[in-house]
Amino acid sequence: MLILKPKFSFDVSIEAEITPELAAKSPDEIRNFRVWYGKFEKRLEELFEITNQGDEKKLVLDGDFSKVKWVGMGMDDGEIVVKGNIGANCGAFMRGGRIIIEGNADDWVGAEMKGGEIVVRGNARNLIGCAYYGNATGMKDGKIVVEGDAGNYIGEKMAGGVIEIKGSAGDFIGTEMKGGEIVIHGDCGFAGGDMKAGIIRIGGKFDLLPTFKKTEDGWIGDVMVNGEGKIIKI
Amino acid sequence: MLWIKNGIVVDPKNGIDAERMDIFVKNGKIVNEEDVRKEDCRVIDANNKLVVAGGVDMHAHIAGSKINVGRTMRPEEMRVVRQTAGKLRASMGRVLLTSPAIGYEYARMGYTTAVEAATPPIGAPHTHEELDSIPVVDKASLTVFGNWHPVFKYAADRDREKMKAFIAWALERTKGFGVKVVNPGGVEAWMYGGNVRNLDDEVPKWSVTPREIITELVNANEELNLPHSVHLHCNNLGVPGNYQTTIETIKLVSGIRNDSRQVLHVTHVQFNAYAGSSWRDVASGAAEIAKVVNSMDNVTIDMGQAIFGHATAMTSDAPFQFTLHKLTGSRWVNKDTEIEGGAGIVPITYMPKNPVHALQWAIGLELGLLVESDRVVLSTDYPNGGPYTEYPYVMAMLMSRRMREKELDRVSPYVQKATSLPAIEVEKTLYEVIEMTRSLPARVMGLESKGHLGTGADADIAIYNLNPNDLDPASQYDVVNREFRVPAYTIKDGEIIVKDGNLLKETWGRTYWVDARKKASVDSIDSDLNEFFTEYYTVRRENYGVAEYWMRKPERLEVN
Repeated sequence: MLILKPKFSFDVSIEAEITPELAAKSPDEIRNFRVWYGKFEKRLEELFEITNQGDEKKLVLDGDFSKVKWVGMGMDDGEIVVKGNIGANCGAFMRGGRIIIEGNADDWVGAEMKGGEIVVRGNARNLIGCAYYGNATGMKDGKIVVEGDAGNYIGEKMAGGVIEIKGSAGDFIGTEMKGGEIVIHGDCGFAGGDMKAGIIRIGGKFDLLPTFKKTEDGWIGDVMVNGEGKIIKI
Repeated sequence: MLWIKNGIVVDPKNGIDAERMDIFVKNGKIVNEEDVRKEDCRVIDANNKLVVAGGVDMHAHIAGSKINVGRTMRPEEMRVVRQTAGKLRASMGRVLLTSPAIGYEYARMGYTTAVEAATPPIGAPHTHEELDSIPVVDKASLTVFGNWHPVFKYAADRDREKMKAFIAWALERTKGFGVKVVNPGGVEAWMYGGNVRNLDDEVPKWSVTPREIITELVNANEELNLPHSVHLHCNNLGVPGNYQTTIETIKLVSGIRNDSRQVLHVTHVQFNAYAGSSWRDVASGAAEIAKVVNSMDNVTIDMGQAIFGHATAMTSDAPFQFTLHKLTGSRWVNKDTEIEGGAGIVPITYMPKNPVHALQWAIGLELGLLVESDRVVLSTDYPNGGPYTEYPYVMAMLMSRRMREKELDRVSPYVQKATSLPAIEVEKTLYEVIEMTRSLPARVMGLESKGHLGTGADADIAIYNLNPNDLDPASQYDVVNREFRVPAYTIKDGEIIVKDGNLLKETWGRTYWVDARKKASVDSIDSDLNEFFTEYYTVRRENYGVAEYWMRKPERLEVN
């Protein structure tokens, strides 16, 4: 298990593609792992205090990581625990393992993820489980749970897996969705625009597009694209 | 001064086939041995290396509003970083490259001249801004004429003098190099939601047909005697059965002659060589087209080879782009350029197992193999058919049947019955492939100082780690495919730009444009132009076009 603590308060964002694999590397490799601080390439130990406790595949990020991007990118297994807030793109392209964020998450949590689990105890911002701009498919499998509120764009072009928001969310839920399930316990804005398949369950109030047809248990659409996606009230 | 020593030279224009000789360079030009002081020369040891002229890409979409809209609508293309900024500029892009990347990647491949294939006239200022940002290579841009209202008018009136005046005026204003024609009449029909379907379909609201537009433009172009012929993107592009339209179009110019070059260049013919009646029974019409092209001595074509992988379709053929969008469901941008035409952009990925894509791939190769090497230019219609960085792959494929057989194994079996590719035994020689990438495109464009290594030519030279006397391209296709990607040297205007595949520095090439005003009476269309601008354009006539002093390195070619 590795514990990372910021050595100072960061002025600009950091791009650190760290995964639990790092904990299994040699102390030398860990210290010299390359990360970007703004436009400068740095060694991990220049920015973080590193404590190594055995080679269990686990990272503990202790302190303010709200400017640290790409944590857990493409990870396969193991665990990351973020004690505070986390920066953008956390768990993007993730294939397995678990990320627990005890604070808030920035944009692009679990973008294009293919497996594994992400739990955000606080709030998450926009673009959860979405496809990066220009790409055809967002989240394919796995699970993202946000215990607080979420921003706009959730599960855009999602093809599988589950996104659950326990609080409320913003606009554009499941746009161009092709599969999988989005659950919003609170309120949200427009849902299901151009969706082809998949299910959106909503607990609170939401804005229904005129391109959805009423069915027994909810609505089906988006008819603009001959979609058979479902919006169901819970 | 350079002394390129002991190289094995292949120079089709001057009939040199793999002869060991020295090349001398002074002041950016190739000179005779006695014109240099050998002790002042920097010696380049080209012993057992292939020495050829820098490549000439005569049809690629490298600058202007189309590729830029492509970049905007495809952010995913910009996730490939080829080079971070340092001594040279940052360069990015998977297939749709940034302007610096375009110049760098051409130079890295041994290419030194590239022609932007379609400039919407009103977009000329933008096109030249971007051409000015492309390093190393020499450039030119072809101005699109085929759907411009004045062209319809003068073609309908059979007013040859005014047509000539208009071409001369337009080339000067757009700093264009030649007359590009895209789906003549069809893009205008698209303004009403339609298209033209054959050479005799009348253009809506104009009593003129594609046949008349093409014929009038070719005749005007020949009377002006421009360096380049009319450069035609045929009607019905991308429609099964269109090979007949292509053949009919080619035959329009039989009887028209020019002693120094073709009178019609038909571009990216792969997209216009489909037989069949629908996408279900589509087949290759390449063999029939090849027969016609080979039987005529005044027409040239380029391949428009499809490369498996990512590409972006972008043409001034707006109705075709809409069809493609409906066919693939991919993103689509439509552009309307006032009374001049339009354009469309649609991302596409060519997949080997997709029968239609495999067919397109095969047709490009059929054209390259079946048409004689002095009339077919190697091209991918970048980025429509794929990246120009794959030219070495195409070169190797043309030279090796064994490589083609290997590649045929991985593509859809549909090509086995729908094309003649599996049966084609032709293996182009190195000499022929150098012709198709150097001397021929230079001749087709009318760029006399390009594409060869004779005295007086620009010192644009590529040196590859290949010894033609010791190479069997038919079996060593992997060597060909590898080495043409990494020249030992790329020399541009006598300066070493690339060594062992690495860029050493950035230089700025010329932008050629053609001034034909002496051959026509531009004054005769003065009042017509004023009327067009007052009645139909969003800009005033005096604000239209590109001034020469805005350009980084303009090179005016005057037609006398």
